[in-house]
Amino acid sequence: MIWSGKEITLYFQEKKYIDTVTVPLLPVSFGESSRQEAEQGEFIPLLTSLLERQFKGRMLLLPPFTYFSTESDEQKKQRLNDWVLQFKKEEFKNIIFVTADPFWRGHEQEFDAEIIWMPSIPMEHMDAKYKQKIVDDQVSQLVKLIVQKWQAN
Amino acid sequence: MSNQRVSRRQFLNYTLTGVGGFMAAGMLMPMVRFAIDPVLTAEAGGDFVSTGTTLEELSDVPTRIDFSYEQKDAWYTSEVTQTAWVYLDEQQNVVALNPTCKHLGCTVNWEGTESEPNRFFCPCHNGLYEKSGKNVPGTPPTAPLDMLEARVGDDGILQLGQTVPNTIA
Repeated sequence: MIWSGKEITLYFQEKKYIDTVTVPLLPVSFGESSRQEAEQGEFIPLLTSLLERQFKGRMLLLPPFTYFSTESDEQKKQRLNDWVLQFKKEEFKNIIFVTADPFWRGHEQEFDAEIIWMPSIPMEHMDAKYKQKIVDDQVSQLVKLIVQKWQAN
Repeated sequence: MSNQRVSRRQFLNYTLTGVGGFMAAGMLMPMVRFAIDPVLTAEAGGDFVSTGTTLEELSDVPTRIDFSYEQKDAWYTSEVTQTAWVYLDEQQNVVALNPTCKHLGCTVNWEGTESEPNRFFCPCHNGLYEKSGKNVPGTPPTAPLDMLEARVGDDGILQLGQTVPNTIA
């Protein structure tokens, strides 16, 4: 399910089947790293939207969690933790964050959620066919990971 | 030539009917054409998309075929990639199934789990379908997988069309 008027109605009808929530984590800043962050902002949502297509009936894809990369570490973590607590309250069994921001590496264990870190791939100069191949590969990796996770609990 | 004489009155009758007929036809033809236009375009249109896969590449085992087409959604035109599971049945007819699970819309895979060979499997809630697309009772899906209209072009390349209800399950 995606965060759209039509699908959210369906979500509330079929709530018992949808136990997984997915949120992309996207940094924003103005400066040296803008370019990489913009690339992430292109790549990660594409990845998650394809993932959602595979798992439409069990996964709710929310709009990205965005933050300024200049925010303090504590604040970022604090805010993300608030999201996790909200999801727990909604009784999501699997909480999946997908990001390419190196900041979250090494902090995966600090949350009661799964943070999947993917290297961002700059796609601006890629031709369409090659781009699709690369993204499909990445998606199928994610698919495997999530199916494993589902089978584990 | 002929021993039947054509009188002046007859000659005028013939010519005027002829000319009048042409004029009437000239006026009526476009009108009729407009009236039956929807029928004609539907026949010529037939939204089939070429997949780039030839008939020889297909077998009796469902193969995943990706095909893309342009979709216009309000002001936004995008290239949509769709997937189909395609195989040949006993009569060598092409069967194309839409991989969208009839339960809640996940994507199903042929032999997606090791414990269920020769079936389509939905990873979300363990839905199962037979090869024909028929849903296996006792699993969440309540209807068979939809089919896609399929035909083979003159060049031997598989073309896929609209999603239609399953007719073989």
